[in-house]
Amino acid sequence: MTRNPPHIARLEVDQSLAADGAATLEPRSVDDVAAILKHASERGLKVQVVGGGTHSGYGRPVSPDLLMVMNGLTQVEVWNPDDLTVVVAAGAPIAEMEAKLNEANQTSVMPEHPGSGTVGGAISAGVSALRRGKLYPTRERVLEATLVTGDGRVVRSGGRVVKNVTGYDLHRLAVGAFGAMGVVVSVCLKLWPVPEGQMTVQVDDPDRASEVTRPLAVLETREGVSVFLAGTHSEVEAQTRRLGGTARPGHSWPVDPAGEFTWSLRVPPAEMANAIERMPDAWGFLAVHGVGEIRCSSDSFDPDFRSWAESVGGRLVVTSGEAEDFDPWGSPPPGVDLQAKLIAQFDPRRVINPGRLPGGL
Amino acid sequence: MTLTQDLREALGDENVLEEPVELHLFSKDASLMRGEPSVVVFPANANETAAVVRIAERHRVPIVARGAGTGLAAGASPTQGGIVVVTTRIKDIEIDVENRTAWVGAGVINLDLSVAAKPHGLYFAPDPSSQSACTIGGNVANNSGGPHCLSEGSTTSHVLGMEAVLTGGEVVVLGGAAPDPIGLDLKGALVGSEGTLGIVTRALVRLLPIEPDVRTLLMDFATVEDAARTVSDVIAAGVVPAALELMDQEMVRAVDNWLGAGLPIDAAAVLLAEVVGETEGVVAQSELISDIGRQNHATGVQVAADDDERALLWLGRKSAFGAIAQLAPDYYLHDAVVPRTRLVEVMTGIYGIAEKYGLTMCNVFHAGDGNLHPLIAFDSSDPEMNRLVHEAGDEIVALCLKAGGALSGEHGIGIEKRDLMRASFSELDLDAQARLKEVFDPAGVFNPTKVLPEGSRCFDFGGVRRELPDGVWV
Ligand SMILES: Cc1cc2nc3c(=O)[nH]c(=O)nc-3n(C[C@H](O)[C@H](O)[C@H](O)COP(=O)(O)OP(=O)(O)OC[C@H]3O[C@@H](n4cnc5c(N)ncnc54)[C@H](O)[C@@H]3O)c2cc1C
Repeated sequence: MTRNPPHIARLEVDQSLAADGAATLEPRSVDDVAAILKHASERGLKVQVVGGGTHSGYGRPVSPDLLMVMNGLTQVEVWNPDDLTVVVAAGAPIAEMEAKLNEANQTSVMPEHPGSGTVGGAISAGVSALRRGKLYPTRERVLEATLVTGDGRVVRSGGRVVKNVTGYDLHRLAVGAFGAMGVVVSVCLKLWPVPEGQMTVQVDDPDRASEVTRPLAVLETREGVSVFLAGTHSEVEAQTRRLGGTARPGHSWPVDPAGEFTWSLRVPPAEMANAIERMPDAWGFLAVHGVGEIRCSSDSFDPDFRSWAESVGGRLVVTSGEAEDFDPWGSPPPGVDLQAKLIAQFDPRRVINPGRLPGGL
Repeated sequence: MTLTQDLREALGDENVLEEPVELHLFSKDASLMRGEPSVVVFPANANETAAVVRIAERHRVPIVARGAGTGLAAGASPTQGGIVVVTTRIKDIEIDVENRTAWVGAGVINLDLSVAAKPHGLYFAPDPSSQSACTIGGNVANNSGGPHCLSEGSTTSHVLGMEAVLTGGEVVVLGGAAPDPIGLDLKGALVGSEGTLGIVTRALVRLLPIEPDVRTLLMDFATVEDAARTVSDVIAAGVVPAALELMDQEMVRAVDNWLGAGLPIDAAAVLLAEVVGETEGVVAQSELISDIGRQNHATGVQVAADDDERALLWLGRKSAFGAIAQLAPDYYLHDAVVPRTRLVEVMTGIYGIAEKYGLTMCNVFHAGDGNLHPLIAFDSSDPEMNRLVHEAGDEIVALCLKAGGALSGEHGIGIEKRDLMRASFSELDLDAQARLKEVFDPAGVFNPTKVLPEGSRCFDFGGVRRELPDGVWV
């Protein structure tokens, strides 16, 4: 029934992402995206938007009629190093953008190990860097977004300045929305300078980190606890002395635990020690102290653990693995009705990643 | 029952004002625009606020939320009449030291929160210059900034959750102390919505640890351009100080005359910079900033010797708008933001505009963010002056937008800047924003006519047709 148009045939897509019979489209421009979505809305076709495919495990799987692969929209459009902002197309691989920004000692504070992940993918999935405790999550980095709604409208929100309260923040609503507010096609990000001094100090207890004020990150894995420091050389040296423990220059960021089943535990920061203590030894974890985020792996889903997380005001969100007989998100969030009404205004035929959001939206 | 009878029954007689003299006190905020409320109410909590919302919807009258009324965009001015809902009775503070958060009533004064948090070694980062008067509810509703938002971001970055009253009087609790709440970020939409989507009754805010050391520098310059270039150069050097504020000579003189702070009144501009962190870091950073200042011909660099000196410098900065009263009875203030690399040329342009119109203008602003506050002092009882001031204001905004800037950095749109929204957004953009408003407020009672220009929602997209790109065949 479907056939790839000529310029799309050359595309290399991870076929495991493609449901049977889904056509793969690679838009080359914002207008392409708009045309595709408008067409999909007119015909009621489900569109799965694919960035780097690194967050495809979030939410219920979509059985798409169309795969819209964003890797034709990868340009760094405007990079203004002296202004610490960058405008980039959503399909741009984070790794490539970061490499470029790093040349001028700048960072977008996107996830440290993005793999093939794209800027638009990280924004749509709402994932953040391990440095978020000090430098804030991805949501706070998006200064402007251009979105294409389900019915093909091109909508811009925010602006290319670091501070802005002009109008409603649709661009912030797009963070973590998996496209429901519109497919993110381009964003302006707030950058941060990478300081000259960088040190990683191993400590025996996360509480040791309170010796220093607002380190870049305090991370714990099965291998131990590391405090990541950044600042002027003299500052970092002084902090290192105060912490004691083994220090090595630079930052080597731990990777997310891998496994059959991976999930993100989100609890109030004060519950983290408790959460870690509750985890069986076989589970892997990477805990971002002070933030309340723990990235975990296990061989199966543990409903009791989710119940506990929700009882302390947290969440257990499945990020990869089969989620057949349970909800990947857990209990629906408050305001689901309102969210549904909002989505109806931005994706009226519900064609963009339908069903992926919590509450079956 | 009449509107006031309903309200009296819900809140008690003592919490409902309807005497004309009393109403007049709530007829405007700190902007120039006035309205006439039908009634002013003081709910004690979310449930009482919900009752007010239901009553307003039943009687089809507008609800205008109000904190301290220090807003500068007429957001809290009841220009359409209706019920003014004052939050000042909702003022509980619950600090959670372990999670570094606090649940704060909407009516709590910004400074009171940081004062309450201080014994725990914590503070609330957003510090509008009006912080000794403005409320947390107002800060949340306006996504307010402040001198120290340069490194930590505006209010939205510090709101983790909220209790809010939405359409139909529904009370919701959104977000929480755990990161990354799932689903659409409704809380984020409410922040900065200027009371047009619902009423925030309590906010869960992030508190930050007080930094161990701080250096505050005052640099004076012989030209505004040198000061502005210093700002651009500091940012370009990869230093993001805690604050970086610029005051021009008119402003410095007004402030100094008022406070006697010993400010350099002969300088064309002064920069106030603050760095925080570990001692070694603040020493290195303050040296770097002074060096950049000197390279840009700073005529003097002074470092506050102690907390008292530091407090005096900040008092000077934060009293600036108050000091303007000496110059003229009224002021008209813009709040545009420009990319920091364009500061020098934009400032030059703005002075040119003031000169062209023969207006008294002062500047005091959050330079590190590129957030300008060109302030025109004038007498609003003179209609010709009014016209000139607004014309000059529009020209200033146009200049900022042309430089890639935005209409408002922190004060909000309200009514003051509403009709300039079309210069910032396309019809489709405004239509999308209007859809958001409609979903949250189908009854149209929450602060109507604010933020979006009239007719934002009339765009009919059905008329535009896009074709699939060539070669695509599905
Ligand atoms: C001298 C001076 C200096 C200032 N400096 C700064 C500055 O540095 N940075 C800055 O950002 N602003 C500044 N402002 C502007 C103003 O103080 C801020 O916008 C402040 O946050 C407003 O708070 P408020 O309590 O006075 O709100 P109000 O003026 O009462 O209301 C502001 C808006 O918020 C809405 N609102 C109020 N409470 C609620 C609620 N609970 N729920 C929903 N909506 C609500 C109102 O309807 C209105 O639209 C300054 C103002 C003055 C007069």
